[in-house]
Amino acid sequence: MSGQLLPSSLSLNNYLEVFQKVPLLTYLLNSFVTSAIVMIGQLLVSSLAAFAFVFMKFKGRDFVFFLFISTMMIPWEATMVPNFMTIQSLGWTNSYLGLTIPFFALAFGTFLLRQHFKTIPQELYEASQVAGISRLRFFWNVILPVSRSSLITLGIYSFLTNWNMYLWPLLVTNTESARTVQIGLKQLQTQEIASDWGIVMAGVVIVILPTLLLLFAGQKKLQKGLTQGAIK
Amino acid sequence: MKRLLAGLSVLFVLFLTACSSTDSASGTTEDGKTEIIFWHAMGGELEASVNAIVDEYNSSQDKYTVKPVYQGSYEESLTKLNTVAGTADAPAVTQIFEAGTKQMIDSGNIQPVQKFIDEENYDTSQWEENISSYYQVDGEQYSMPFNSSTPVLAYNKDAFEEAGLDPEQAPRTYSELKEAAEKLTIKEGDKTSQYGLSILNYGWFFEELLATQGGMFVDNENGREGEATKASFNDEKGQKVFELISDMYEEGTFYNSGQNWDDMRASFQTGTMAMMLDSSAGIKGLVDNADFEVGVAYLPHPDDVDPQGVIIGGASLWMAKDIEENQQQAAWDFMKYLSTAEVQAKWHVESGYFAINPAAYEEDIVKQEWEKYPQLKVTVDQLHDTVPSTATQGALISIFPEARQQIVTGMESLYQGEDPKAALDKAAAEVDTVLEKGSRSR
Amino acid sequence: MNDARDLQPVPSQKSLPKRNLFAFLEGWLYLLPSIILFGVFVFYPMFRTIYLSFFLADQMGPFEFVGLENYQYILSSDSFQSSVKATILFVLYTVPAGILLALFLALLTNEKIKGIGIFRTLFSSTMGMSVAASSVIWMFMYNPSIGVFSRIAEWLGFPAIQWLQDPDYALLAVSLSTVWMNAGFAYLIILGGLQNIDTHLYENAKVAGVSYLYQLRRITLPMLSPTLFFIVTVSFINAFQTFGQIDILTKGGPVESTNVIVYSIYKDAFINNDVGSASAQAVILFFCVLLLTALQFKLGERKVHYQ
Repeated sequence: MSGQLLPSSLSLNNYLEVFQKVPLLTYLLNSFVTSAIVMIGQLLVSSLAAFAFVFMKFKGRDFVFFLFISTMMIPWEATMVPNFMTIQSLGWTNSYLGLTIPFFALAFGTFLLRQHFKTIPQELYEASQVAGISRLRFFWNVILPVSRSSLITLGIYSFLTNWNMYLWPLLVTNTESARTVQIGLKQLQTQEIASDWGIVMAGVVIVILPTLLLLFAGQKKLQKGLTQGAIK
Repeated sequence: MKRLLAGLSVLFVLFLTACSSTDSASGTTEDGKTEIIFWHAMGGELEASVNAIVDEYNSSQDKYTVKPVYQGSYEESLTKLNTVAGTADAPAVTQIFEAGTKQMIDSGNIQPVQKFIDEENYDTSQWEENISSYYQVDGEQYSMPFNSSTPVLAYNKDAFEEAGLDPEQAPRTYSELKEAAEKLTIKEGDKTSQYGLSILNYGWFFEELLATQGGMFVDNENGREGEATKASFNDEKGQKVFELISDMYEEGTFYNSGQNWDDMRASFQTGTMAMMLDSSAGIKGLVDNADFEVGVAYLPHPDDVDPQGVIIGGASLWMAKDIEENQQQAAWDFMKYLSTAEVQAKWHVESGYFAINPAAYEEDIVKQEWEKYPQLKVTVDQLHDTVPSTATQGALISIFPEARQQIVTGMESLYQGEDPKAALDKAAAEVDTVLEKGSRSR
Repeated sequence: MNDARDLQPVPSQKSLPKRNLFAFLEGWLYLLPSIILFGVFVFYPMFRTIYLSFFLADQMGPFEFVGLENYQYILSSDSFQSSVKATILFVLYTVPAGILLALFLALLTNEKIKGIGIFRTLFSSTMGMSVAASSVIWMFMYNPSIGVFSRIAEWLGFPAIQWLQDPDYALLAVSLSTVWMNAGFAYLIILGGLQNIDTHLYENAKVAGVSYLYQLRRITLPMLSPTLFFIVTVSFINAFQTFGQIDILTKGGPVESTNVIVYSIYKDAFINNDVGSASAQAVILFFCVLLLTALQFKLGERKVHYQ
């Protein structure tokens, strides 16, 4: 972290060297695929749960909802090692399964969507019941489209969160072919010896770029969704 | 949007079912070679060096294949090792930092390399004794030293000259150090533009400054003669170290550079301070990056003691116990290869870590390197001049990481005006409690 | 279902027990994926953590049952007390400031003005940066010799402060960077909530000629309350779990001034190899946050205005 951190030293050479030092292309691909899978998984699982919490009345609903919320309060340090052992016994190490499935259920996402669903008039639901539309159709054809903005927000959030994950992928992968970008960034740094910060910074830029692009694209979509999606 | 979602969902179910690859951790490859996994924590340039050495080993013989895998920081790879120990995911060889030595011995998951030394009558006298002794307990060699370093005093020769000091004569005693620091400190009004000295808030440096006085970190001869039960670093010797820091900080000649190596080096390179303690392994990078002449000298010591030298730091390679015999043979063969003079010379030149085999220093590439970086020779000389004892062998405790955190907290409290003895006693009391708890380990 | 029934008014659920059962089952069916996943990957590890908290344990597992000793040890240690203090301060520094900042920025950019998209993107962009990358940037800015903060201080004639090395400032410095890192996401959520408000309400208000503040108090905030309730709850919970920036910026120092409970858990579990102590701390933290959140739901959600 000396003065060389300044952009003046970000020569093209550093970027080329990053790709030679670590298999960054593989890592980028893995990060992209796992982040996309987690994003879709979270959107599906969370929106289903949120739908049940808002539009269905059944015994124990509020208690279960609070149980869901409580999962956010469990420190990750406590869950990481047992979960790693679970993944290991399932034989899911070094695979996308281990990198994605544990994150599909997301209380945060369920909560976010529940809050949005709650602003949708109940009359809409009652009308659909009267018209004899099945709940699943109602969910898929009515609720999801009007909640577009929340879904996009959640989608961005889950993609980015997964993209930035470090410790979990490090635990569940042992081969370079299964590893993700944040491990690559760490791999460019040394502990006791001065790191080559020019190269590290080039790596950081390469890794951040896709997330910023996604954010901007999402923003654009969001602007459109925000103005069209609201139901009056 | 909906269609996109539906399409992606299908795609992702396909992905999940298609991508459960199986990759056995270690075993036999199809060409009949025994394959072993080697976990290490060497990132950046060092990983390139490690990979090159492993590649050369793999092509140097046709019985074994070593697969190096980066596993994050020392702490992260140790955690992962503890979690997978005894399962098929466990590696045959793992690089573990020096502070994890006792923990590894106690874990019951490792095979001391002494077994192979005895079986083959392998000549360990070719190893640098001051390095290998760290990993010896009761005469048994547990692991194979790999990357080793010691602390040195690095200083800005240009600043020395400007301050009217002899740039070839670095301070050795505490009074010389204080005097030089005073001359080097440049104050402009109430602002200090250049400080004399900086020591990173890192427990390792304290241990070293203690050991060079012959001081013990814990009782029972640093835990080498028996299980350590109490901290002993809060004696007079330890106090001298804390007093030095406290006095110099109060006089305004000492700069607090925090806990981050890179931060400290950046401050040194930008001229915030003219002297600092650094790791021998970092010297080459320091010389390359500084736009002034960098001098390297031995660790300073109090005026009235004979300097005893330094304790080795860094990491060593450990062999797993619960693996097949041929894999252990492979691991041992790889370790032997690593300790040859040729490989060690290359490792020393590329990484800046010591050669564990001193014969490496006679190799041509080392001689050339030393001509370019005479500073490196100083680091090696300091190691050779070290007087072997339980003080310089280093403490053997399982709770080392926590003990170091307590020392850091103590150092940090000095800058808040805490009394050196009180700060040290508090750290010692904490370490005593942890030692007591640690003694109940498995 | 036949057409004739569709024309009838919606039957009350009580009168149809069969339908009730079906709704009950269907409700659970929608929750099933979440419940299974939470069960395996959250509740099972949590129960294991509770179990381990009664043992002396290292990373290889438990080895001696000690009852409540881990808890006694923690509750009587100075270190834990300073962790509690740091955690509470950190939450107080970051949560209100973060939400107010995000709310302010969202209100500011909720207007339909040309080019507002640029600001919206700008304000939400901190979300696109990982905690690790942002922390490195902040570390650079806090650096006393080359950082921007000391340059400004110098320019104003103040002495350069070692933000991260001074126990009086370190927690504030970490909090400031945290507010910055979290602002992007909170902003995005609040903006979404604002945009979701029926514009007719504002048009009516305009006709009635009410002041901006009245409009804010009577229309915007009540209509935004589901979103605000969400962001307050989530920010609270997240603030208790903040780890990344502390690890990179201060490592819990100096003099343990930023050693929040989650960081202390991390150190015990992943560095000090004391899983028993880490588990006990995790259990304590969990139940404290649970209690706070339950209170928040009890008191807060009553005030939330859903449609």
